[in-house]
Amino acid sequence: MPDNAAWKIGLLFSTSGVTSIIERSQLNGALLAIDQINSRGGVLGRKLEAISYDPGSIVPRYGELAEKLILEDKVSVIFGCYMSSSRKEVLPVVERRNALFFYPTLYEGFEYSPNVIYGGACPSQNSVPLANYLMGNYGHRIFFVGSNYIYPHESNRVMRNVLRQGGGEVVGERYFDLQARESDFRNVVEEIMEARPDAIFSTVVGQACIEFYRAYHAAGGDGRTCPIASLTTNEGEIAAIGAEASVGHITAAPYFRSVNSPANRRFLKAYGDKFGSTSDVTSCCEATYSQVHLFAKALEETGEMDTDNLREALLGATFDAPQGQIKIDPDNNHTYLQSRIAIVDEQGEFVVDLKVRRALKPDPYLVFPAIHDWSFRTDKVAASGSRNA
Amino acid sequence: MHDLIRDLRDQNVLLVHPRERSADELLQQVNRIGCSFDHVWPLPRSLPDKSDIVFIDVTDHSAAELKTFLDRKDRPVTVIAIVGYENPSMLNVILEIGAHSVLMKPVRAAGVLSSMIVARRFRTEQARFEKDLSKLREKLDNVQKVNDAKFILMRHRGITERDAYDLIRKQAMAKRTTTTEIAQSIINAETILRDL
Repeated sequence: MPDNAAWKIGLLFSTSGVTSIIERSQLNGALLAIDQINSRGGVLGRKLEAISYDPGSIVPRYGELAEKLILEDKVSVIFGCYMSSSRKEVLPVVERRNALFFYPTLYEGFEYSPNVIYGGACPSQNSVPLANYLMGNYGHRIFFVGSNYIYPHESNRVMRNVLRQGGGEVVGERYFDLQARESDFRNVVEEIMEARPDAIFSTVVGQACIEFYRAYHAAGGDGRTCPIASLTTNEGEIAAIGAEASVGHITAAPYFRSVNSPANRRFLKAYGDKFGSTSDVTSCCEATYSQVHLFAKALEETGEMDTDNLREALLGATFDAPQGQIKIDPDNNHTYLQSRIAIVDEQGEFVVDLKVRRALKPDPYLVFPAIHDWSFRTDKVAASGSRNA
Repeated sequence: MHDLIRDLRDQNVLLVHPRERSADELLQQVNRIGCSFDHVWPLPRSLPDKSDIVFIDVTDHSAAELKTFLDRKDRPVTVIAIVGYENPSMLNVILEIGAHSVLMKPVRAAGVLSSMIVARRFRTEQARFEKDLSKLREKLDNVQKVNDAKFILMRHRGITERDAYDLIRKQAMAKRTTTTEIAQSIINAETILRDL
């Protein structure tokens, strides 16, 4: 390889299919970070070159394309995946070929692979603050609606337990296909209207998430009185749902576009300059952006794409991310993250209401997060203009 | 949620294995899972008191040595064998020591958790079955004794089975003891009388 050849990295985000809204924002996050790194001269004088494939939100395609990236494109570092099921396709491929895989998405925990760096939240980092918030501000009767795959089931198990610890009650639990349309949600929305819960906990993802919020709004559901609370619904989906149907709904995540910090302002400015708008910036987009930067820092240190050396350089690495400082936990390859709770305002923008005091250590194998754990305590964010909201 | 998953973090894990790559992988995964752990090597004389789950490299020891180490009559432990080979003599060791689960070398993080859960399940079920079995044996024994005593009374007194049982029960109540005790006394007395 000539001295000035580019460092090749693979990107596996769907720009078509049911999870394309969120995955496109992840792709953009990666492309922005790559641009920034290249514009300051690349890594050790060599540019980063992205090889990107669209798996079309089709689960087995992720594994096939990971194989293609490694075998045909000679890539040993891959960023990608949103749904757990797609990660499970990529996992055996990167383990067999000893490649390094960055997964910039929240997920249900209970996994560790030496070949994966996990950049999103696991349930202990966002479920407990959200459960506390719902019970403190809305009430104890919660209705669960989810997509029918591994993440919602496990996420609901955790949430059910946290709610019970605080005296809460799950008044209903329904699961839907990833392809579910607005009309498919009509029955469950009726059921919700009859059950009159204090809040709805939704783990409906992708296009179906938009369909569900719309169905709730169409039936007279109002986020200001009985909100849909989620760990996954983000700025991109709220934009698609529309401000009127979104107002009052709640999301818990490490990052929101409205976070008011110098790092985030710089990030949004650069994103807007590159893509024309920041309307689809999400927590998963921010996680992807931060992971590419963490990777570049590690590569700067190792000077080679060797998986084992890169991993050594990455474990314990920190980055001044748009959400605040993050750190890769050397114990488990997951990431110390911020935890915030935000409510959608009349303009369709998330307003951060609470945040934890410091980045939370990831604990991917925690079976039952304790509701009173001091590390989950949150502080009120005084005004949207406050520092580091 | 099953208790075995709920209580997992209360378990003390002991790894008996040379300190190399597989041992490191395993200890790190046990740490991620959230159990406290200790490591020993070579094979110590006796098992530490607090160990609940023992991961043990069975490659270089005879089944007899391993059994002596693992056998704790007072508090049975969960045993997960770590093996490098799957030949018949190795398989025999796994069966001999009563391992509840097996991990292959090189140990990977994935699979450790399931292996711990399944092994604990087998261990607790085994303990429960053994307890039930000894209870049943005792009960059967008692029923047999009471039957023998009834027949002795029927023969000596010329009474019905029902009356014989009532007699035994009344005696037990009067002497504040069990029907089995009374039955045993009757059987003893009969033996002595017969031998006079």
